Amino acid sequence: MKTPLAWKNLTHNKVRTAVALAGVGFAVILIFMQMGFKGAVRKTATQIYDALDFDLMLRSPSYLHLTEPRSFPRERVYQAASLPEIALAQPFYLGLSEWQAPEPDDAPLDQYSGDWRGIITIGVDPHAPAFRREDLREKSTLLTDPRFVLIDNRSKADFGPQNGKRFSEEDIGVETALGSGRVRIVGVVTLGTGLAANGACIANYDGFARACPWQPLDEINFGLLKLKPGVDPQAAKAQVQRLVAPMVAPNSMAPAASSTPADTEVLTRAEVNEREEYRWVVQTPLGKIFNLGVWVALFVGVAIVYQVLSTDIANMMGEYATLKAMGYPNRYLATVVLQQSVLLALVGYVPSIIISWGLYLFVGAQSGLPMVMTWQIAVTVLALAVVMCVLSGMAALRKLFQADPADLF
Amino acid sequence: MTAFASLPATSGAYSQGPAVPKTIKVSQLNHYFGEGELRKQALHQNNLEVKRGEIVIMTGPSGSGKTTLLTLIGTLRTVQEGSLKVLGNELNGASRDEIVALRREMGFIFQAHNLFESLTAFQNVNMAAELADMERGLAKERIDYLLNRLGLGHRIHYKPKSLSGGQKQRVAIARGLVHSPKLVLADEPTAALDEHSGREVVTLFQELARDEGCTIIMVTHDNRILDVADRIVNMVDGYIRSDVAVHETSVICEFLRQFPLFSDLSTSTLTDIADKMMVQEAVAGDVIIRQGDPGELFYLIRSGQVDVIIDEDGAANKVAELGEGQYFGEAALLRDEPRNATIVARSKAVFYTLGKADFKDVLSRSKTFVDELRSVLASRT
Repeated sequence: MKTPLAWKNLTHNKVRTAVALAGVGFAVILIFMQMGFKGAVRKTATQIYDALDFDLMLRSPSYLHLTEPRSFPRERVYQAASLPEIALAQPFYLGLSEWQAPEPDDAPLDQYSGDWRGIITIGVDPHAPAFRREDLREKSTLLTDPRFVLIDNRSKADFGPQNGKRFSEEDIGVETALGSGRVRIVGVVTLGTGLAANGACIANYDGFARACPWQPLDEINFGLLKLKPGVDPQAAKAQVQRLVAPMVAPNSMAPAASSTPADTEVLTRAEVNEREEYRWVVQTPLGKIFNLGVWVALFVGVAIVYQVLSTDIANMMGEYATLKAMGYPNRYLATVVLQQSVLLALVGYVPSIIISWGLYLFVGAQSGLPMVMTWQIAVTVLALAVVMCVLSGMAALRKLFQADPADLF
Repeated sequence: MTAFASLPATSGAYSQGPAVPKTIKVSQLNHYFGEGELRKQALHQNNLEVKRGEIVIMTGPSGSGKTTLLTLIGTLRTVQEGSLKVLGNELNGASRDEIVALRREMGFIFQAHNLFESLTAFQNVNMAAELADMERGLAKERIDYLLNRLGLGHRIHYKPKSLSGGQKQRVAIARGLVHSPKLVLADEPTAALDEHSGREVVTLFQELARDEGCTIIMVTHDNRILDVADRIVNMVDGYIRSDVAVHETSVICEFLRQFPLFSDLSTSTLTDIADKMMVQEAVAGDVIIRQGDPGELFYLIRSGQVDVIIDEDGAANKVAELGEGQYFGEAALLRDEPRNATIVARSKAVFYTLGKADFKDVLSRSKTFVDELRSVLASRT
C-alpha cells in the first residue's frame, strides 16, 4: 500500500479542500438544476400524453405543440375504427380556455379581482375516459354535466384555490367561470402541465364545447386509437395511414385516392413523444438555454477547481520538485494531481446530489414543474463532475511539470 | 615512466591505488547560463574525480559555481559541454529514463526541507523508501533507525507543522538516506542544526561512507564539520581552484617534515608545497633520473622502492635503497648541478614531484635554509 499522497493532501488542508468541495458542489448543483429544468421541459411536452391511453394518435398535420394542436375532422377517428386492428377509437379534445380565479368565501369584496388565467381544458368521454391512470378514470365519471370540471391540483396558486396555495378537497363545489359559462369544481386530480400552461382542467365533451366555443365538436384535436393485443403498431400505423391520409405519389398518372391534401397524420406513441421533445428542446430556445446553462456551470466548476488545485500545486512546488529529484517520474506526480481531482469530484458529488434532490422537490412544489431526479441525470452529472475536475487537474498539471528540481539547491 | 602533469599529488588519486572505483568523474566540464549575448559561462573546464566512499566538501563564495556543479552531478541540470560520469553513467546525452533511474541511486538533501505538510515524518521518509521498492518491514526498520539516530525517535509520527526547523531538516536528511543511496548530494545539511545534531548528522554520513560505501558531496560553509571531509574542493568563479584529499595531504606533509630542510616549516607552507606536487608513476626497471642529466624535479616516494646507483669510473655501484616516504633529487636542484646518481625503480612505484622553481621558492622562505642544507649535504655520504 503506497502512501495515499492525494488523499493526505486533501485531508490535510481542510479549508482549501472545503473551498474546492464548495466549488465542485456549486457547479454540480448548477448542472443538476439545469438538467432538472431540461428534464422538466421534456416532461412538459409529454406528461399529458403519458396520462393518455393510446397506441396510435391521429392529429392534424399542422399540429405545433400541446397547446397549439390544431384540429381535424372527427370522421377520421371513426374511419380508423373500422379497421380490424383497432380495438378502440376515441376523439380527444384539448384547448386553451380562460379560467376565472374563484372568489374565496371569506374574501373582502374589494380584494377579489377575479383575474382570468389561460387554462388547458381537456374534453373526455366520462363513460370511457381515455386515461391510463385508474384515479383519473374514476374521477372522470363525475363529469356527468357540461358544467362540471375536474381541476388539476398542480395548477398555480393564482388560479384561486380556497387555501391560497393549491386546489384540494375543500375546493369541491366551488363555482367559477370557464370560457363563457359557469362551472363547478367536482373533483381534484393530479395531472401537471409543465411549461405549456400554468393550469389544467378536465370537462366532458359538451363542457369542452362550452369552454372553447370556437371549436365545433366535429372538429377534434386528437384521435386516440387502441390496438388489439398482438398488433404491431408500425403495421397498424401503415393501415390507418392508407385509410385516412393516403399518400399521393407525385408522378402518379392514376387519380389519387383523395384529391384533397391529407388533413390527418398518424403517429405511434414513440413518435409523438419524440416530436414533442424535439419541439420543446430543440425548436424553442428553452432546451438551448438549459444546455448552455450546463456549459456555464461546467466552466465555473473548472475555473474554481483549477484555481484550488493550482494554488495547491504552487504551495507544494518545492515538495513536488523534491519528488522529481528523488526520481519520481512526472507520471507519478500527474497521478497524484488527477487522483486529487477525481476525489474532489466524487466527494463533492455526494452532498450535491442530496441538496439537488431537495431543490428538485422544492422547485417542483413551488413552480409545478415536473423536476424528477432520474438515474440518467444522476449518472450524467457524476460523469460531468469527474470530467470537470479532471480537466481542471490537467490544466493545473502544466504548472506541476514546470517544477524544476535544479531550483532547490 | 608515466607522468601526469595534470594530476596533482594532493588529489589523492593514488593514495589507495587507482583500483578504487570512481563514483564521479568530471572532465573538461563547461556550463553556461543564458542565451545569446546574455550567455555567461558558469563553469570553466572543471575536472574532478571522487572515489567511492569519499566525503567531499565543496567550498567557495556564492556564485562560484559549486551549486551548479552539484546540480549537474545530481542530474538536475543537463550537461552541455564536456563529460560527467556518475555511478558509471555518462550524463552528457543521457536519456530521460536513464536519468530517472540514476536519480533513484542518489539521495538529495536540500537546504529547504521540502517536506509534505500532509505527511508525518515517517511517511515523508517513506516516500523515498517506496520509490526504491524497499520491503515494508525493512523500510520501517531503517526509517525508525535513522530517525532515532537523528534524535527524532519521539517525533516519528508528527507532521512537519509540529516540528522545529532543525527537526524538519533532520527528517529531510533521513529521507535522503533511507534508500541506501550510492551518492548523497547535500546542500548545507547542517545549517539549521545546533552543534550536537550537526555532529550527529556528519557522524552518520561517515558511517554510511565507511559501511555502505556511500559517497557524499556536501556544499557547506559550516567550519565545524570540515574535519569529516576526505576531500575539500574549493571553487572560485567557476574554476576548481583546489581539490585536496585531506588525508593524502597530511601524509605528504608528514613525509616532507621528515626532510630536515623542511622540518621547521609551518603546516601551511608544507600544505602549499604538497599542493604544488604532481604525480608520477613508474614500473620496475624504469629509470627515474640518470646520473649526469640536468636536474629539474624533486621526488618524494609515495609507494614502491628505488635503487640509488652511482656510476664511478665506468662501474655502477648500488649505494642505497629508498622506500616510501623517502625522497631524492634535491642535490641537483640545490646546487644547479647535473644529477649525481641514477635512480631506478625496483618495483611499481608512485612519486610525488616538485618542480625546481617551486622547490627553490620554498627554500628561499627559510633564512637558515641554505646553511642547513649545506650541513645536510655534508652529512650525507
